[in-house]
Amino acid sequence: MLKNLFLGALAIGVTGAVGFGVYAYKSPIAAITSDQHGDFEPELVEKGRVLASAGYCATCHTASDGEPYAGNYAMQTGFGTLYSTNLTPAMETGIGSYSAEAFRRAMHEGVDREGRHLFPAFPYDHFTKMTDEDVDAIYAYIMTEVAPIETVQTPNELPFPLDQRFLQAGWKLLFADLGRFEPDSDHSEAWNRGAYLAEGLTHCGACHTPRNALGAEKTSEQYAGAQIDRWSAPALTAANASSVPWTASDFKSYLVKGTTNYHGVAAGPMGPVVHEGVRDLPEDDIDALAIYLADKVGATEDDPAQSEIVLASLRKNQPDPQYRRDLGARLYATACASCHYNTALISQGRPDLGINSATNLDTPNNLIHVILDGMNAPEGISGVVMPGFRDALSDTEITAIAAYLRDKRAGQPAWPNLAETVADLRVNGPAAH
Amino acid sequence: MGNKLLSRMTNSAKPSDMTRRGFLVSMTATGVAFGFPRASSAAMDPAAPDGIPVESVGDTFEPTLWYWIDSEGQVNVNIIRAEMGQHVGTAIARILADELEVAWEDVNITHVDSAEKWGTMVTGGSWSVWQSWPVYRQAGAAGRTALIEAAATMWGVDPADCTARDGAVSDGTNTITYAELVSAGLSRSFTEEEMKALPLKPHSELRLVGKDVTALDIENKINGKAIYGLDAKVDGMVYGVPMLPPTRLGSSVTSVDDSAAKSMKGYLQTLTLDDPSGTVPGWVVVLGETLMAAKWASQVIKVEWAAGDTAGVSEAEINDRSRALIADQTSGAILATETPDTTDAFSSAANVIEAEYTTQTVLHFQLEPVNATVFQNEDGIWEIHTGNQWQSLIVPTLSTALDVPADRIVMRTYMLGGGFGRRLNGDYAVPAALASKALGGKPVKLVFFREDDAQFDSPRSPSVQKLRMAFDTDNAVVGMEHHAAAGWPTGVVVPSFMPKGVNGEPYDPFAIDGADHWYSVGAHKVRAISNDLANKTFRPGWLRSVGPGWTNFAVESFMDEAAHQVEADPLEFRLRHLKAEGYNAGSAPNAVGGAARQAAVLQKVADMSGYGSADLPADTAIGIASTFGQARSMPTWTASAVQVHIDRQTGEIDVQKMWLAFDCGTVVDPDSALAQCEGAALWGLSMALYEGTKIENGNVADRNLGSYTPLRMIDTPEMEIAFVESTEVPVGLGEPGTTVIAPAIANAIYNATGARMRSLPIRPDDILAALNA
Amino acid sequence: MIKFEINGRSVSVDADPKTPLLWAIRDEIGLTGTKFGCGIGMCGACTVHVGGRATRSCITAVADVEGTKITTIEGLDDQANHPVQEAWRNLRVPQCGYCQSGQIMQAAALLQDIPAPTDDDIDAVMTGNLCRCMTYPRIRQAVREAATAMTGAQNNG
Repeated sequence: MLKNLFLGALAIGVTGAVGFGVYAYKSPIAAITSDQHGDFEPELVEKGRVLASAGYCATCHTASDGEPYAGNYAMQTGFGTLYSTNLTPAMETGIGSYSAEAFRRAMHEGVDREGRHLFPAFPYDHFTKMTDEDVDAIYAYIMTEVAPIETVQTPNELPFPLDQRFLQAGWKLLFADLGRFEPDSDHSEAWNRGAYLAEGLTHCGACHTPRNALGAEKTSEQYAGAQIDRWSAPALTAANASSVPWTASDFKSYLVKGTTNYHGVAAGPMGPVVHEGVRDLPEDDIDALAIYLADKVGATEDDPAQSEIVLASLRKNQPDPQYRRDLGARLYATACASCHYNTALISQGRPDLGINSATNLDTPNNLIHVILDGMNAPEGISGVVMPGFRDALSDTEITAIAAYLRDKRAGQPAWPNLAETVADLRVNGPAAH
Repeated sequence: MGNKLLSRMTNSAKPSDMTRRGFLVSMTATGVAFGFPRASSAAMDPAAPDGIPVESVGDTFEPTLWYWIDSEGQVNVNIIRAEMGQHVGTAIARILADELEVAWEDVNITHVDSAEKWGTMVTGGSWSVWQSWPVYRQAGAAGRTALIEAAATMWGVDPADCTARDGAVSDGTNTITYAELVSAGLSRSFTEEEMKALPLKPHSELRLVGKDVTALDIENKINGKAIYGLDAKVDGMVYGVPMLPPTRLGSSVTSVDDSAAKSMKGYLQTLTLDDPSGTVPGWVVVLGETLMAAKWASQVIKVEWAAGDTAGVSEAEINDRSRALIADQTSGAILATETPDTTDAFSSAANVIEAEYTTQTVLHFQLEPVNATVFQNEDGIWEIHTGNQWQSLIVPTLSTALDVPADRIVMRTYMLGGGFGRRLNGDYAVPAALASKALGGKPVKLVFFREDDAQFDSPRSPSVQKLRMAFDTDNAVVGMEHHAAAGWPTGVVVPSFMPKGVNGEPYDPFAIDGADHWYSVGAHKVRAISNDLANKTFRPGWLRSVGPGWTNFAVESFMDEAAHQVEADPLEFRLRHLKAEGYNAGSAPNAVGGAARQAAVLQKVADMSGYGSADLPADTAIGIASTFGQARSMPTWTASAVQVHIDRQTGEIDVQKMWLAFDCGTVVDPDSALAQCEGAALWGLSMALYEGTKIENGNVADRNLGSYTPLRMIDTPEMEIAFVESTEVPVGLGEPGTTVIAPAIANAIYNATGARMRSLPIRPDDILAALNA
Repeated sequence: MIKFEINGRSVSVDADPKTPLLWAIRDEIGLTGTKFGCGIGMCGACTVHVGGRATRSCITAVADVEGTKITTIEGLDDQANHPVQEAWRNLRVPQCGYCQSGQIMQAAALLQDIPAPTDDDIDAVMTGNLCRCMTYPRIRQAVREAATAMTGAQNNG
């Protein structure tokens, strides 16, 4: 998720003052031994497992071919490559020497046990909102259930001075709003629970909130949508590009099943968010997240099935005998329509591409990614795949299909530089996909 | 017993019959994991779940080469034709079973191997039923006669008082089954004279011919068990993919660098083929443990070629060459029409019209890409496992390529994932054989990916035709000329098959049939011209309907043009010239009735469609066309009417309905006959509007479905198809439906808009250009 | 090893993860009813069901189906009597038969999602499946008849 965070170290150009040095200094917390990890109630461990999933800890702390939580997951950033740390309870190279207090400080303040500032690729600016109880539960889970694996930490590939950890303190000073979540009494309990989860544990804003030049989330533009790994994380505000407004039940379906009738599926970086993440949360928590997100996009609970937008899009599904007239239309009819076809109702797993988010976003990236590389079993609806057309369609052909969908099906203005984007994403697509 | 060969080929219980590298059929039974049970098979029974032919039980009676009956009354009919969608075994076996008087449930079929005893093995030209009809009827009658005689002798009665029905003989008192007669021992052979004298059943007594029976190949085509060439499995085989040279002929390999592939998992080696037969010059084959290993390796292996001299040839150059040859009156062969000299007719004509017609290159694009699996078995025999339409043609070539006598080669013909003429040219088996030869006989399965299949296709040649017609002062037709130039499939692949014209020049009948039509037009010159540039640039192929696919586009478009010239209705104009007289009177056995039968189907289709009377909306019209199918020697009287609507703004052609009428003599297999005509007509539609590539830099430009756009479900119009009831000799149906559609559409477009389209395929832009001209 | 379920049977395939599912099914597992036509997902001959959805196996990497349930023509019905197969049999749809596994799998998926398809629906969904023998008129009719049979069966409980 946080693979391409910009590093804020440049902010430290303003420093030099002694005061900063004082601020930046954090004392080490004493190491503990493995027999001091403590015994935890099974309920607490289970709670921690669910929370760890919903916070995607393993996603960023597991290398593509590595053991769970053993780190060395490569995160491409604008300034270089960072490798995540070993989160297993290994004594030498993991966090086996962390006491609960040290773990809490890391989660809440972005400081490791030895007092070094962590890079904000680690979203402590969100985890800081979590309660001690929840953080302790994750600690209990890791110490109890995660197998200790000693590893060799791959050094980060950052140029000087960006590799200077103490400078991260400056970034923290400028951008991180440390402190626990505070409920908003204007909203319901469920809403507040959703807000607590979204802004803390599940750190939705890390991808869906645009960042400033120094890589910090722009608080004034919370959830306004952002680019991540050459994918587009859509806005979770009224500016959301969906043809059909999201509802709380859509969000719930999306967060549990990875799909909705009217918006598309959880693909790319969003795939593991659902399938290795939030879907394990208790249903009340999913409901709370859905209520909170629905409020953010200004949802109503109208059933869109009979809305004119949906009906019009379904009419455009009808086969066109003149499909050969346009390359994109012809390719769509021969390569796509067999699956992406709907009649009176849109069925999940047959996404309607006229109203789909991918065809309605301001950038074509999500659509092109999916055409190129399809979706594997854990993406979208579990156990269902979409083939990738990388070796089947040329750039010209993919461009034609995307242009056809954008124009004739979504009725949106043409994407600028579409052909160039197709060529770029083919070559520079996310390796981690 | 007479089926020693068959038992050797089948999954005999005797282990010694199985070679170590026995042919392994991929079993699909659940519970069989990751392995292929050992089972050797040569011939194919399309009804058996594993393709293994039925084995005889006990004694067999085998009165001819074509079948046996065993002690349980099972009948096995040997079929030399390839199954590629015609249900050909079902059609042919029923001819025999009908005369033999056995129940259809007792009939099995075996598509045989390529042993010499089967004679010429070819499946094409819409010939299979036509050629098999007399042979299998006689064979069935022989068995029936022998069985009746045996029963009569047993009972001491006159054979004339006995009848046979459903696998049993009866004299009214006694009844005995064929099974019992065979078990009792039966030996009866027939001289050639006796065979000819055998009584055949009258049409009124036919119980299977013309009736609905279960097609034996269909079940396995809906449950996934039908076995095609691509499904062949041989123990220990490796996979190969070809790397094609820049030109079909004349290229040679100058260097091969496989260093980038060396480290790839499963990559084995790269072979530069040495081909004594000259079939695949300059070929490289990449071998892998898996197909994809070979494929991926081929993508990084660098091969350099010295290209042949056709590397820059374009379709336009080929067509220009055709035009130059047509302009040269000394080129080509002149067919033996009734009055081939048209000099006087044209020099004295009051009026002459002429027009040029062109057709583009067309791909077979049979859905199963060509492939072949080859190895040398323990007996030293080279086994060629593949789908093939003309075994007798390719075995000698394989003999040259492998440098072994032809009797050391056997072909196992699998189900064909589409033939359409592509597999008449078995050239794709040659590189597989050469690769195996290079490995000392180790099994190699050579698979062409689609792009390779298309590049290596023997496509339908582009053609240029010039037609002329002479009228006298009364607007009566007094002469016609048809000059047709194209690549010649028979000319390049099997020139010995070519007859000679009246000027002593050989010609490819498959590239000119159709031009020698049954209209009485006075002097009639038909000139067939071989395009030498086409012939050396690619291997012109036989493609469903071959020449009649383009000659009739010209003839039948031109007949409409001629009718309009003399202000006659095109239907009336045609009927006026379809006179069963003289040259066009027709003759027994194949063309009884001559031109009158063509006139009859034409009138029939006009009636069916409401041609001339239907009240149609603007820009909507019906066009008609009529042909005699494939050849004067085997005319299938064929006619069609097609209704189109043209969008004048976009040029889009909406084909609203197609009507077809056929007189093919006796209809042997009604459902398959209909299926063949449906498919053939839609092929005609596809080539009229949707299919066409072109030669570019010496190769076909379109190699997969991204740019090659055959007819699909959405393009399929409503059709109505009728057969004329007849007891005449059954003639072919695989191709005739293809021949009539393009001209009917072109004529309909003219009738709807006044635009005359003289090039295939007809694209919307062409119509717009014609409308705006 | 890549694990999934095929026709109700658990399998592990030892193949390059990039290998198209088609070749894993045909050459590794040995089920050859699924066919290779174009290799670019535009002819439909390779159609199988992954998680119940019609999927072009020639462009689906075998690694992507880890953990899924796959059905091929051999497993559509134990007795090859799926209503679609019955309709295909009754109307004698196949000619050469090579595309028909894919056609049948596509039609079965269509009728699962759209139990009473119009001719337009049939055109839209089945146009992705090429048939070079041009059996389209019979495919169209067979889909209609299978739909009637299947909805009839549902109505009868």
